[in-house]
Amino acid sequence: MAIRPTMARSLSSLLGIPGQYRLSSQSSSVNAAEVSHFNNLASTWWDPHGSSRLLHQMNPLRHDFVASCIESQPDPTSSNHRRYLDVGCGGGIFAESAARLPWTERVVGIDPSSQVISVAKAHARQDPLFLEPGRLEYQNKAVEDLPVPRIPEEQFDIVSLFEVIEHINRPAPFLSSCLPFVKPGGWLILSTIARTWTSWLTTKFVAEEVVRLVPRGTHDWSKYVNEQELRKFFRAQDGWGRDGGLKSQGCMYVPAVGWRTVPGGEKLGNYFFGVRKDPKR
Amino acid sequence: MRVWDGLSSNSRIFFDALTSEPPIAYMTENQNLSRALVTRLDDLSAITLFDKTSVADIRLGHPVPFPAKSPTSLDLSSYPHVTLSSNHTIAARLLVGADGLNSPVRSFAGIPTRGWDYDRHGVVATLKLSRGTGHSSENPQRVTAYQRFLPSGPIAFLALPGDYATLVWTTTPPQAMRLKALSAEDFVAMVNAAFRLDVVDLDYMFTLDSGQVGELEWRESVQSSKKADVDGEIPQRVASVQEGSVASFPLRLRHASTYTTNRVALIGDAAHTIHPLAGQGLNMGLADSRSLASAVEDAVRHGADIGNEIGCLDRYNGEMWMRNNRMLGAVDKLHWLYSAKSGPVVGLRGLGLRTVDALSPLKGWFMRQAGAS
Ligand SMILES: Cc1cc2nc3c(=O)[nH]c(=O)nc-3n(C[C@H](O)[C@H](O)[C@H](O)COP(=O)(O)OP(=O)(O)OC[C@H]3O[C@@H](n4cnc5c(N)ncnc54)[C@H](O)[C@@H]3O)c2cc1C
Repeated sequence: MAIRPTMARSLSSLLGIPGQYRLSSQSSSVNAAEVSHFNNLASTWWDPHGSSRLLHQMNPLRHDFVASCIESQPDPTSSNHRRYLDVGCGGGIFAESAARLPWTERVVGIDPSSQVISVAKAHARQDPLFLEPGRLEYQNKAVEDLPVPRIPEEQFDIVSLFEVIEHINRPAPFLSSCLPFVKPGGWLILSTIARTWTSWLTTKFVAEEVVRLVPRGTHDWSKYVNEQELRKFFRAQDGWGRDGGLKSQGCMYVPAVGWRTVPGGEKLGNYFFGVRKDPKR
Repeated sequence: MRVWDGLSSNSRIFFDALTSEPPIAYMTENQNLSRALVTRLDDLSAITLFDKTSVADIRLGHPVPFPAKSPTSLDLSSYPHVTLSSNHTIAARLLVGADGLNSPVRSFAGIPTRGWDYDRHGVVATLKLSRGTGHSSENPQRVTAYQRFLPSGPIAFLALPGDYATLVWTTTPPQAMRLKALSAEDFVAMVNAAFRLDVVDLDYMFTLDSGQVGELEWRESVQSSKKADVDGEIPQRVASVQEGSVASFPLRLRHASTYTTNRVALIGDAAHTIHPLAGQGLNMGLADSRSLASAVEDAVRHGADIGNEIGCLDRYNGEMWMRNNRMLGAVDKLHWLYSAKSGPVVGLRGLGLRTVDALSPLKGWFMRQAGAS
């Protein structure tokens, strides 16, 4: 099914934040221009005053959202040996933080941009914790290039796609390729931007053109995906989102304050979306 | 707490704890705090204490080539490496500078400070009162703190348990020198005089090399301030001063331009040094450590690197810098207000104290500000 509307490529994006996922040209959901755009951003990924500042500031909310999904489960929480697959991991902002959490057993971060992966690998060497074998691993791959898991031991408790799908040409097949990596009872968690006039104004016009918070060309507004479209996609999937296993949470960047969650904000701009693979009975 | 003005003596303010209000502040000696903290450290397992050791050197770790020769080797080039006098070297994920006014951590981080010197010294001493006149279970009301604003600065008397009290006397550097050079008896006479005599008498006594004991006796005999003593409007008479407890410190205002850089946080006097007239120095440092601890806790909960500015330290700096800056400004203005010797400001400040005293709600607010933080 088609998630994206066909819309002429809009003016460059505004108050959006730079996404993390760009696919190599061999892969299905590829966008070569996106990959090279993020290759250029690689060197500033960990600069606290660089263009990834907003992503750094958003990171605690990602963990809060993951936690709220897990807490909402009717059955007791998933294991204390959590495994994460971070798709479009970029320089490793989320992957590193997930790997530091006490209940984490393993984090695998993948990204098709070779430059950002080398930045991520170099940065991980700053923390002795990440020298523990298997705790944090990066691969320069698109999700389509990973071997599809056949047994639950190869799957993940959390598969995350933070600020990724708005950079993907065809989100539906891309999401479909991610699904087999989620363990039964595990969650697919993503964050993205709704395609609304507000998001066009903030991410394309203000952020990219007026205040230059993020580099021009970071966003392609026509690729933004609405929460309703994701809901529709996952309702059509067998074995997903039963018993309240489908959640969303809007959030908003307030200048001089930071990121705040906004009830109903998923209809306006940035939002988180979580869907659970039904546990085995 | 009693506060009054040395030049317009009919302006007084009483910060008596209203029965319905919680205490505005607690007074305790530094050694009690230190002892409690050391005991607490003993209870915590993951702490290594280096006693009687100083920091000899702080520098960043060796830079590593990019891309790395060995992709799995550790890169500690962003970690401050602290070398101790015992020759241990510690690489710090987060280095907290709690190392006072001349903070070596602050110098390492290259954080500039702004501020000025007050041309005043704080003379401190531990005072012994006449037997049985101090705070005790038989004498529970004797816990009042006193502060008199003299033109050279405030003199404060803070009751301690038993027949003891702490003195903090802010004065000019020459007067501080004179006080420290006096015999113990003459020093005690000067302290008693400072709470009892007129400013002109006191100024005269500062010109004498010795003989303050006799001078005070004579001046009191003609002035008679006995009534005030009985009412508890002025502190108890000081009998002696604890040997070796008289010391003086130059008073300064300093504020670091920021409290944090990558892997460094400054707290306490390393971050800010304040005039002691409002007794806020330690309180501000305690508030810093509480704020930093909660930022670190939040960072750990979200998997952030606690040495990272965005992931952790920005929150501490954002929470405390402006708040401390306001306190530094307010106390600085009090200093200038009370160091005026004459002119309309003397009348105004007397009016100020009387007005604050008359307005109960305002006084309650002021008491909470003084005690809180
Ligand atoms: C005269 C006067 C009166 C005051 N009265 C009051 C009052 O009544 N109430 C109040 O709240 N505050 C008062 N203060 C302020 C209070 O004393 C300070 O705010 C407080 O001590 C600051 O604590 P700190 O731990 O930040 O710094 P400090 O107490 O200065 O401690 C810094 C520590 O760092 C150590 N250090 C420095 N360099 C090194 C090194 N290279 N290696 C290892 N260790 C090192 C020092 O040895 C010291 O122990 C007063 C201050 C003065 C000057």
